[in-house]
Amino acid sequence: MKRLNLRAIAGVACVACLAAPAAASAKTTVTMSGSTSIQPLAAQLASSYLKVPGIRSKVSFRLAAGGSDIGINDVARGRVTIGNSSRDPVPGDPDGLVFNKIARDAICLVTHRSNAIANISQETIQAIFSGRVRSWSQVPGASASGPIDLVVRTAASGTQDAFQNIFMGQELRVSPSASVRSSNGLQAQAIRSNPNAIGYASFNFTEGLHSIPYRGVRCSLPNAKSGQYLGSRNFWMVTRGPARGAAKAFIRWIRRSRTANQIISTNWVPLR
Amino acid sequence: MAGLPAAAGTPRAGAAKLGTWSDHRVERVLGAVACIVLLLVAGMVVFVFVRAWPSFADNGLAWFGSGGNVDQQLIDIFNSPADPDSYVLTLRAWPLLYGTFLTTAGAVFFGLTFALFSAIFIVEFAPERLRKVLEPVVRLLAAVPSVVYGLIGILVIVPWVNGLISQERKESVAYVVQLTGTNISVAVLILTIMITPIMIAIIVDALRAVPRSWTEGAAALGVNRWRVMWTISVRTARPAIVAALVLATARALGEAIMLSMVSGSAGFAPNPIDGITFFFEPTRPLAATIVDNAEGLSVVPLGQTLYAFAAVLLVSSMFLSLGGFLAKQPMRKYGIRP
Repeated sequence: MKRLNLRAIAGVACVACLAAPAAASAKTTVTMSGSTSIQPLAAQLASSYLKVPGIRSKVSFRLAAGGSDIGINDVARGRVTIGNSSRDPVPGDPDGLVFNKIARDAICLVTHRSNAIANISQETIQAIFSGRVRSWSQVPGASASGPIDLVVRTAASGTQDAFQNIFMGQELRVSPSASVRSSNGLQAQAIRSNPNAIGYASFNFTEGLHSIPYRGVRCSLPNAKSGQYLGSRNFWMVTRGPARGAAKAFIRWIRRSRTANQIISTNWVPLR
Repeated sequence: MAGLPAAAGTPRAGAAKLGTWSDHRVERVLGAVACIVLLLVAGMVVFVFVRAWPSFADNGLAWFGSGGNVDQQLIDIFNSPADPDSYVLTLRAWPLLYGTFLTTAGAVFFGLTFALFSAIFIVEFAPERLRKVLEPVVRLLAAVPSVVYGLIGILVIVPWVNGLISQERKESVAYVVQLTGTNISVAVLILTIMITPIMIAIIVDALRAVPRSWTEGAAALGVNRWRVMWTISVRTARPAIVAALVLATARALGEAIMLSMVSGSAGFAPNPIDGITFFFEPTRPLAATIVDNAEGLSVVPLGQTLYAFAAVLLVSSMFLSLGGFLAKQPMRKYGIRP
């Protein structure tokens, strides 16, 4: 146990080093806050951007989370260089903001192979995950019988946040009796071994599972890229006015470079 | 060490000049290393408690109580506003504490029973050839990383147990809790398998260390082998058994990854009144909760809550060591220590 604590502390120390690099005078610090779903992606992008030759001496990053609205408010008030938003712009947003799209994020609804549901509506998803419907016999098109076993991710997970925003909305909560998994892989394994289970996952974790078409559209990479698959959303990096200087270079690198594209395609949907 | 050349005839003054590794220096260097370890442990304890304090301060003693759904509370903590004044820290950790207690106590109870009899068998009754295989295997098992046990658990045992639970049983409690292959029984089973080898290894060493004259004396009086083992060897080895117990309990208490995989990962307190259903109910111990939520460590209030879990685990392991020490005191007279 002591070993675990030491490791945790070392981990925290590392995060602290990454998050707050020594403020060198010649460097520009790009600060970001906002969506917890974008945070892991932004962290990976920033750390590999720093590996581009010549960049480390010029730019450093400071990354915080908080939620999309916090990111948008922060950037509008000039507290950060980039506000990360995983929701689209709405009319109530402050004036003068530029939304730069960097990636898309899509979530597939998945069940056991033997329970190949042909189509699912948002209402059914909400009924199932909020715990209103607890038996497969009440779900149209389900071949499983018996109680529904919900397998979800921890609150801290970006996928959980995406699922909440895309399918559940702000009002409904996932039923507290759901079984919680700490990683995509463990969640997929739990669904693979239980014919009564239902959960959600990004594309690359749907291997060996049945992914349910949502509102008649199959959950696939092309459908998500084209926007036909409605279970997807945009990731934005928001700036006050058009991006300038280091922020502009960073966003351009995210959109153009192959490295960034590879990072995005690990868990998210690249734009190209 | 530097005494050796002196003994070999070199004048003492010459040895001191020899010097980089003179006794004097070695003593200081080793002393410094020991102090660093102490400082590190002390620093760690202080760090964890300072970080954990806001969570305890906000909830008071109710932190240890029950009320509401602990998973929902963790979600609310994670989603609390960014403004430090409006952090949400409300937590009632009872289901997690109870889950930790259940899994640890269950595994240690079954593990100790099993380990004691296995050790007696290995030391006294096993044929030489079997013993030569058994002992290395047990020692090897004691060193297997817990994540391996976790993997075997979710790939083999969990799907099998899931098939054992009847549809009716699942439906009867569907509105309260989900019964799946990941549950308290599987957690206790795998935890038992995990901590038993190390207990066997320690107890075997202790039983071997019992002076031969004692057991031979008893045998000479016509006592049979089993009674010699039980009344002389095991009794003498009690301090070592307590030591094995403490070590195994500490391992069970701090086990995180494996339990996060097989315990059901729901902040639920299994209720013994539920009869057989109780054995299929999910739970989630403290250490597993820390691992599960580590992703959200950057959210300040969630971090404080996780450090509070760590602090509780630290304190319990300290009390465990202390309890082990106190329990050994009355057994010292005829005891052997590992």
